Amino acid sequence: MATTIDEVYDNTWDDPRKRSPLVTGGLDYGQVTSTVTAIAEVPAPPRAWYILMAISLCLLGMLGILLLHLIMSGVGVWGNNNPTFWGWPIVNFVFWVGIGHAGTLISAILFLFRQNWRTSINRAAEAMTIFAVVCAGLFPGVHIGRVWVAYWLFPIPTEHLAMWPNFRSPLLWDVFAVGTYATVSTLFWYMGMLPDLATFRDRAKTKWKRMIYGILCLGWTGSARAWHRYEMAYTILAALATPLVLSVHTIVSFDFAVSQVPGWHTTIFPPYFVAGAIFSGFAMVITLLVPVRSMFNLQHLITIRHLENMCKIIIATGLMVGFAYTIEFFIAWYSGVKTETQTFVMRAFGPYYWAYWTMFTCNVFIPQLFWFKAIRRSPVAMVIISIFVNIGMWFERFVITVTSLCRDYLPSSWWYFRPTYVDIGMFIGSFGLFMTLFLLFCRFLPVVAMAEVKSILPHDEEDHH
Amino acid sequence: MTPSHNHNSNAQTPTGPTSRLVGILAEFSSPDKLVHACEQARHAGIRRMDAYSPFPVHGIDPAIGIRRTRLPFLVLAVGLSGLFLAVGLQYTVNATDSIGPFPGYPFLISGKPLFSLPANIPVTFEVIVLSSAFAALFGSLALNGLPRFANPLHRIPRFKKATNNGFFLMVEAEDPNYNPRQIRNQLEQWGADALEEVHLDLTDHKLPAFVKMLFILMLALCTLPPALIYRARGDSHSLPRLHFNPDMDWQYKSQAQQVAPNIGASEDKPEWLFADQRAMRGEVAGTVIRGRLKDDAAYFTGVASGAEGHAELAEIQQYVSTSVNQDAATAPPEPNWLATFPARFAVTPETIARGKQRFDIYCAVCHGTTGSGDGMVNQRAMALNALQRANWTSAKSLHDHTVVDQPVGRLFDTITNGRGTMGPYKSQISVEDRWAIVLYIKALQDAMTDAVAQDDDGNWVPVRTTAPAPTAPAPTDTEPSAPESPAAAGGDASTPTGATVDQAVPAVANQSSAAGGEAADTASENSGRTN
Repeated sequence: MATTIDEVYDNTWDDPRKRSPLVTGGLDYGQVTSTVTAIAEVPAPPRAWYILMAISLCLLGMLGILLLHLIMSGVGVWGNNNPTFWGWPIVNFVFWVGIGHAGTLISAILFLFRQNWRTSINRAAEAMTIFAVVCAGLFPGVHIGRVWVAYWLFPIPTEHLAMWPNFRSPLLWDVFAVGTYATVSTLFWYMGMLPDLATFRDRAKTKWKRMIYGILCLGWTGSARAWHRYEMAYTILAALATPLVLSVHTIVSFDFAVSQVPGWHTTIFPPYFVAGAIFSGFAMVITLLVPVRSMFNLQHLITIRHLENMCKIIIATGLMVGFAYTIEFFIAWYSGVKTETQTFVMRAFGPYYWAYWTMFTCNVFIPQLFWFKAIRRSPVAMVIISIFVNIGMWFERFVITVTSLCRDYLPSSWWYFRPTYVDIGMFIGSFGLFMTLFLLFCRFLPVVAMAEVKSILPHDEEDHH
Repeated sequence: MTPSHNHNSNAQTPTGPTSRLVGILAEFSSPDKLVHACEQARHAGIRRMDAYSPFPVHGIDPAIGIRRTRLPFLVLAVGLSGLFLAVGLQYTVNATDSIGPFPGYPFLISGKPLFSLPANIPVTFEVIVLSSAFAALFGSLALNGLPRFANPLHRIPRFKKATNNGFFLMVEAEDPNYNPRQIRNQLEQWGADALEEVHLDLTDHKLPAFVKMLFILMLALCTLPPALIYRARGDSHSLPRLHFNPDMDWQYKSQAQQVAPNIGASEDKPEWLFADQRAMRGEVAGTVIRGRLKDDAAYFTGVASGAEGHAELAEIQQYVSTSVNQDAATAPPEPNWLATFPARFAVTPETIARGKQRFDIYCAVCHGTTGSGDGMVNQRAMALNALQRANWTSAKSLHDHTVVDQPVGRLFDTITNGRGTMGPYKSQISVEDRWAIVLYIKALQDAMTDAVAQDDDGNWVPVRTTAPAPTAPAPTDTEPSAPESPAAAGGDASTPTGATVDQAVPAVANQSSAAGGEAADTASENSGRTN
């Protein structure tokens, strides 16, 4: 096997006579293993890791202090007030849940469609999903006000309370959807990691590492019988996660669509939310993986082709989102409902016009740059565009949530929502939580699904594929 | 870790019972060679073998002869259970009143049905997915026999390549066709790069010391909570309980029975929020407590009022003070007592029976089951009176003419508000039941019309005393007179049976017939107890 590293090999070019390799540099099985395990095995991670970790921990600390302040003082420290009871906390919740969707899409839907290029990026994307859902769960968790009775969200029998949740409420559906999503994503992620954790165990140099990874991998040996059941279980989990991921953002959109607030009560919400979620999620995957691949020397595993494919998905979902923005206006006019029309006109030209046009520019106009192949192949350009997409997607949720609530049916209660420093600090702090978890994941767990990547490497003698 | 043996790659089998041969492990350089070797081994009749590879090798299942797993059926079964669990949970929680020992909570929203499948689909779907995912992961782990931390393969350094870039085939020693010498040759022939025997170390069964320590520590910690509970049983503390979470338990607000807050500048010169110094506010005039609207004066008070609405209520209020006023001199005039039963009260055999039942509970203890004033309490108290140990006013006989002549409204008021030493029963007996008791008293009185009993001297005297003819008031009677029933008059007075009560109904409904002209007799011994 060739072991020369060919940096300039362009695997984004589709030659119809042969498949473009998904792993460049001619890596063999052992080299794939050593490339990935090196991240956890080096005595000290790169300097950039420490710098990012320091920043993340500062932000995490700020989040913790603000959370404490919020819990001690009450939700009045936020800018939420009548009638905008859903301010930034719910905007952030929808934003983070949406981010998570790309991970499941890559790991489950692309698996079912036999998209082999997913193998290099699915592990990191799934980790991103779980950490994003952690951040997402935080906001509604504290938005309920009395966090110490958060267990009331769940159908737990209590004799003293004599109450049960209302199973016909979208907010309860949300608890089940996000809870199931977090659990199933974690199971899926953990299951995919079992063989790679066994690799870590077998390469561990110290007794403690061997023991911890040994317990985590449950004694995996890679037996053919185990692989057989493992693959079956993995396929079943993928088949379960596929409708699940579509249901989660659908149900999140029900939080809005099932109510009768103008601008919310539309049937376009479920598909529009799901498309937006995948759009923002892929943008986040690119934002994370471009630095990760250069920081940990994963360029041969996470190739330009992988990144280009994600750019293509971003442009597709970005067009869906742009279509939804446009059709919303058409439906508002076509419905003939005065409040509905007024709400949409006010969105684009009212007091929040700046938010609306930020959203529209970032989500619809800027991703059009991906039509150029040069931009699709430039990691720096795609990270910049992806950051714009995520800014735009945050503003989308802001526009949906805040502009509709600020201008509801009662003009006397119309007002202009302003966030407080707690709102802003908690949103920035949630990035600290997310990045801390992600950096720890990069350092201590297999960032690339080694077993899956090895299974798509070309064989020595005869290529069955 | 016992590095004493089984790291040998040659055929040096450890002797003695310290280890047991598990099988022979062959390493191959590529997945294709592994599949090829598996096919050959299966062809050679070997069944007990397993391949180990860092990733699932294409085509290995038929080569080894792995049958399709039953996992999908397991997941299906669990998923279906999740379906029934979720639908059942939502139905019992939101559409029933109780779930075993716990109360249910039916939500009635906009008059929609309590249970509607479309609204229950999201939660049902999520529960199905969640339970199926658990079944898929934990089912596959269980079928694979994981977690399994003690595996002789992990003792073989070479085997660490199985999770990296090595491809292994292990033929188990338990296979019927296992021949140590032959199998080595065969495996080498099929392309194995290295061969190694796998031994199960039979001596190393000890748990690591720290695991033991941890286990003992956990056990010791487990005894702590019961020990603390045992120590604290029947304990008392001078300090209040710890209140970790205030959770709005203390608030700046006034509660019932509290003094109104002082809004003045100082404690010395208090300025109360409310002039009467009470935090609790009384009800606004004209307020009617929910469920206590008494819009039928005749029914609720026994007074026939000419007025209606507020005026009627005000008039009634005055009569209430009248009836409880014991001083005859200052008492206002008697109200216009209802002479017949109010329209809302049905005079039927059932209500008489109800009246008897209530009478026997509340009235008979003093007035006796026949209403003669000889209840158990009265007898005992009179006996104590005779011994100078009590000062008891004898319970009145209901057959006294002063009682017999009373209109029904007056009797109702007596039960409601009490008279003399008799206490009010309005809080014990409902309005309906009070009227039923009045009806039963009338039935008793009617039954006693001509009854006689022996007095203390052994003379037969009428049970009922009658008022002197000139003073007997003739209550107004608007209803037509019903013929008096002789059977009612001649019935067994001490125990009025259903039959006699039934026949007495027409008579009591027209109670004025009892006030007629029986011969005036001496006032009974009970006549001292007047209102």
